[in-house]
This record gives sequence, C-alpha cells and structure tokens, in this order.
Amino acid sequence: MPLEPFKSSDSLSLGVELELQLVSLSDFDLTEASPDMLELLRRRPFPGQVTPEVTEGMLEIATDVHTRHAPLLRQMQSMRDTLVQAAERLNIGICGGGTHPFQMWSERRIFQKARFQEVSNLYGYLTKQFTIFGQHVHVGCSSADEALFLLHALNRYVPHFIALSASSPFVQGNDTFYQSARLNSVFAFPLSGRAPFVRTWKEFEQQYFAKMEYTGVVKSMKDFYWDIRPKPEYGTIELRVCDTPLSVERAAALACYLQALCKYLLEQREPPPAEDDYLVYNYNRFQACRFGLEGTLVHPKSYLQKPLGEDILATLRRIEPQAQALDCMAALQHLRKAVQQGSDANLLRRAMVEHGNVESMVHAALQRFCHSEPIRESVFTDG
Amino acid sequence: MVDAASVLSETAWPLTLLLAWLVGEYGFQRLRLPRICAYALVGFALAPTQAGFLPQAQSPTMVLLANMAFCLILFECGYGINLRWLRSNPWIAATSVLEASLTFAAIYGLLTWWGQPMATALLLAALGMATSPATLMRIVTECRSSGQATERLLYLSTLNTVLAVFVFKIILGWAVLRTSGNIFAAAYGSLVVFGISVVLGMFAAVLTLLLLRVLRRCGQDSTLAFALAVISLVALTFGLKLSPVVATLTFGLWARHGRMVLNASQRGFGSLGSLFSVLLFVFIASRLQWDQVVAGLDIGLAFVGVRLAAKVLGIGLLAHPSGISWRKGFFIGLGTVPTPALVILVLEQTRLLGNMLVDQLVPLAAATLALEFIGPLLVQWALVWAHEAPAFREV
Repeated sequence: MPLEPFKSSDSLSLGVELELQLVSLSDFDLTEASPDMLELLRRRPFPGQVTPEVTEGMLEIATDVHTRHAPLLRQMQSMRDTLVQAAERLNIGICGGGTHPFQMWSERRIFQKARFQEVSNLYGYLTKQFTIFGQHVHVGCSSADEALFLLHALNRYVPHFIALSASSPFVQGNDTFYQSARLNSVFAFPLSGRAPFVRTWKEFEQQYFAKMEYTGVVKSMKDFYWDIRPKPEYGTIELRVCDTPLSVERAAALACYLQALCKYLLEQREPPPAEDDYLVYNYNRFQACRFGLEGTLVHPKSYLQKPLGEDILATLRRIEPQAQALDCMAALQHLRKAVQQGSDANLLRRAMVEHGNVESMVHAALQRFCHSEPIRESVFTDG
Repeated sequence: MVDAASVLSETAWPLTLLLAWLVGEYGFQRLRLPRICAYALVGFALAPTQAGFLPQAQSPTMVLLANMAFCLILFECGYGINLRWLRSNPWIAATSVLEASLTFAAIYGLLTWWGQPMATALLLAALGMATSPATLMRIVTECRSSGQATERLLYLSTLNTVLAVFVFKIILGWAVLRTSGNIFAAAYGSLVVFGISVVLGMFAAVLTLLLLRVLRRCGQDSTLAFALAVISLVALTFGLKLSPVVATLTFGLWARHGRMVLNASQRGFGSLGSLFSVLLFVFIASRLQWDQVVAGLDIGLAFVGVRLAAKVLGIGLLAHPSGISWRKGFFIGLGTVPTPALVILVLEQTRLLGNMLVDQLVPLAAATLALEFIGPLLVQWALVWAHEAPAFREV
C-alpha cells in the first residue's frame, strides 16, 4: 500500500487524544471494563469520540478539531464528566497517569478487534506490556513540507513535553525511579524513537517510505511508533511522547503549549533544524524521562547544559506573543505553575510515601481526574 | 500395637483431600473442568453412605474447618463490596431485592404445591435465595475473569446471602414461636443472634485494623493477619452458637470501609484459600446421601429449575436500567445458580430446629448434588459467553 497523499489542514488547528485507565473500585487494580463502558456510553450521544484500545482496561477519547484553548478545554471537561458518570454506574474508576502503578501485564486481555489481535500475534507479550497510557496531540499543517519542518524543528522541545506530562513513576508495583517510565515500554518496539531526518514530503515518500515498504517491514504509517509522526490522512503531525496527565486541564494546557510553540517555530525565529541536532536527542529524552523537570538539557546547537525546568520557563516567556495571538495564555500560566509545583509523578509518589501502599496512588489519580483541583485531604487512615 | 482401623479412620480425611486435589488438577488440565466440581465428586463418592471411606461419625472439627473455609471466602466478598456503588447505582440493590423476592416466592410456591409443610417450604425458600459466594469466588479466581458480569455476580451473591440468612433467622424465630409459644426463645434464635453477630464482626474489624496500625504493618501484605482474624472470629461465633456467616461478612465490610484500600493482600487468600476450598467442597458433598438424592430427584430438579427461572427473570428485567446489556443480564442470571443452601444449613447450627428439617431435606439433597457439579460449570460458561473469561487457557 503506497503512502497516502498528505491532506492539507488548517495550520495550527489542534486535536487531542487521551488514553485513560479503567480501574476497579473494589481493589483499584486495572479492570477489563472497556466493553461494558462502551456499551453503556453508546446509549447517549458522547461529547467527542470514544474508542477501545488494545487491552480492555484502556479507553481512548478524542476531541474534535479546535483552534482555541477555552473550547478545547470545555470539550475535554465535558467528555470527562460523561465518562466519570458512566463509570460510577459500573463501579469503575477512570483516571489518567502514564502507567497503572501495580497492574500485572500478564493479566491483561486483548480487546476483540481484528487489528488488535493481529498486533498481539506479531508482538506477543509486548502488546500486553503496552498497557500504558499516553496523550497524543495533533497539530494541523497546511502542507506536507510544513509538517516535516515542524516535526524536526520540535526535536529540542520534545523533553519539555515528557517532563511536563510525566505521570508514570511506578510499573508492576515497583518504583522505577523514572518520572516517565512509560516511554521505556514504547522504546521496546522496533520502529520507535525519532523519525529519519528528511525535509521534504517527496523525499520522505520516495527515499524513505517506499524503501521501507519494499523491505516488507512496514505497510502503513501506523507501523511507526515515532515520538512525532506525520499523519497524512489528517494533514497533521502527532506528538506522542506525553504520558496521559492526571487531569484534563493539564492535557489541554500541553496541547496549547505545543500549538503556540509551533506558531513560534513557523515564524522562523530559530536556526533551521539539522541532522546533527539529533546527536543529543536521546540523551535529552532520557534526562526528561528519568529526572523530569529536574533533568538537564544539552542544547543541540550550542551544547550548553541547562536545567530542564528553567528551559521550559524561559520558553514559556519567549512564546508569550504567539500565545496571546492564539488566546492560550491560561494554558501557559497553568504550565508555569506546574513547573513550580512539581509534576504529576511527584504527586503520585507523595501519595505513596504518605500512605505506604501502591493503591493510594490510584486513589490520588482518581481524585485528581474527576475533581480537577488540587488533591483534597486524603481519606486514608493508615500511615 | 498399631491399630489399623484407627489409623485408617484418622487418615481418611487427609487422603480424601489429597485424592480430590489430584482429580481436580487432572480435570482442570485435561478437560478444563472447574476444580471444585471434582472436589464435590470425590466427596460424594467417598461419603460414609456411598463408598464408606470417610468416617460415619460427624466430626465437630470438620464442621468447624468447613465453616472457616466458607467464612474466609465470605470475608473476602465483604471486603470487596464498595458501598458507594449501591448509592451511585441504586439499580444494583433493586436488582438484588427483586431477584431474591422472586426466588423466594417461586420456591415457596413450588414446595407448597408439592405438598411440603409450610415451615419447611418457607425455610427452604429463604435458603434458596442465596447464591454461593464460595463457588463464584473460586471460579472467578480460577478463570481470572473480570467485567460487569463478574462484578455483579459477586455483589449479588453477597447481598442475597445476607438476605437469605436474615430471612432464614426470622422464619426460624417464627417457627419456634409457633411450636413453643416462647417469644424470648424465638427472638433469641433469630434477631438477637443476628444482631450480636453483626456487632462481633464490627468489633473484629476495629480490633484488627488497630492491631495492624500499632504493628505498623499497613503497607505490607496483611493476608495472614486477616486470615487469622477470620478464623478466630469463626471459632468464637461457632462456639457461642451465633452466626459465623453474618459475623465474617460484617467483618469484611467494616474492615474495608475502615481503611479504604485492600492493600497487597493475595486474592482468595493464596494457597491457604485453595487448601480450604478443597476441604469445603469435599465436605459439603460428603454430607449428601444417595438414597435421599434419589428419593427427591423430581422435586430437587424442579427446585433448581424454578430457582434458575426466577433469578434469570429478576436480574434480566433490571439489566438495562442498571447499565448493562440484556445479554449480560441473562448470563448473570445463569451464573447465580450455585446454591450454598446446604452449607448454610449445616454451618448455621439449627439446633433449635432439632431434627425437624433433616427428614424434609429431601428436595435439597438432589438440588445440591446437581448444583455442586452443574453450578460451577454454568458459572464458568456464563463468564466465557459474557466474554469476561478466556474461552481457553491463554499461554
């Protein structure tokens, strides 16, 4: 199947996808509830899109196409409320977080759908290990070349998104000492990581995709698990490195940060991306996963080292004009506070330290997701 | 001199359990038969009235052990209940009341029509309301099933077991009052026993949580602590001739809501739970007598049929409003078929009843035997058909 043509879309339009966790309120473990949730949600119109994911403890929601922060956030809140309400009727909790802190991958069940079964047959246990939860942000591009430009120009900012969304400190019941351990699971896939450095769509199509297809390794763009990948059928690039944050407010803010950043980059205010930028890419990415906002970045052009949190605050200041033009200053404000107060991963670890059990992290995530306010005094009695 | 007869009688139980375990593993690996079916088969075959391998005399130790086995499972059921769900989805409680009342009415109707005395019909109708949490828990753990059918089966069985014991006690009180005219004896046998058991269960919960906190074992595996607490509570209520069923269920409920999170406990109490389940299912089947089964075959099967119809109808009617498909509602109905009637009857000492019921147990013997084998299979199939358990064992 040849690569489909890149459909042009409105530049800087936004779409957000969130993969969410379904947990049992009886024991806070992940539960295979997506068929029941979908069955119940079908009864009423859903304010967005809701679809199954590869294992049955996951559910994916997607927004419509937006251009402004406020309506995007409103739609996400409305989807959240509908989900929480439905989940309550089924004794299910729904929440964000890049990983479930103590679910066992071997207990997961593959959703009954041809593509998921195919993936499961190909990748074996990796598929069940892939029960991790990410936020994907689509940014509209007016042309395919613009998409490839943005994809590469964003390379130095990828760690920002990892650190700001990091919410996966625990895996299979143990502290990983990472802020975002989720990306380690993505890295296990053979076609993950960065996209090849190709600047025009023609080159991408003829030099890269056609060759890869000829090797028989890939059939469509879906087979690539890159950090950022072009999505020709939507006319977008898709940023895939974010953990699903614990609140939809954080998710909307991240999307709009990306939007303002893309506007800034499209105004050609920085030296153009180069292949050598990627020399420091994996190191920076690791720093963001491991240490989050406390990590250190190496600038791809100057090789100067700078604390990640500081670099984010500086960037937030730098793109204020673009944010103002796009009406998303509130999003930037939200993220500034997040840098100061610490990531979602810190919030989860604090719950663990306070109550001494992994279940309390799920409890904290549930509270954070449905209330969208700083977590209230906890009801745990043991300490 | 070693007395061969006494050695044989002392080893009869352990050897039977070993054999039951072996048959259970074979059936599970080769035929994917639920293990508890095999346990019941071995128990029934080796019973004193059948092959006669097990000793004739009823040992109080075995009754106590079986009680512990059943109550450990009940504790876990209580611990799994999230009372907030009953508030946020009132249809769950409504479904429970509807299916239990329909079952009660249907069985009572059947038995009086069949010519059973009113007291017997009422008592059996009360017991018939309950779905065996023990059978459900073992099957759910064994097939690692999860989803709404699984969740609701466990909730409904816990709720209707409480309802059954409550109604059973009230009817018992009424029966005593009618025969003896002594209102104190009647009240003691029913409501007072029920009330004291609830209080003891709550007390056990508070005490255990307090101990765990003092010992700072909160973040760790507290499976053993809870298991020992349940066992002590059962021994106490058993000795005081109270209701172990009610006490342990209350203990579970109270313990959960006192601390919010069941942390790091092993599902089904791990190996301890498995050991006890072999014992429980062998023991119960060994109480059945072949001649009783044959004598009550027709009424027994009618009992099973009427009960199943009532439960499927009651749960099915409210499936859609409660948030699931009719299809799942139907499978939940199928899954509620295992009955713990005999278990409750044996464990909740009916000394006040004397031998009144024993001869009239006939319908229950056949029904229990049928359901000890068919019940687990039906639950397993219902969960597979509801797509909540894998149809074959995944590697």
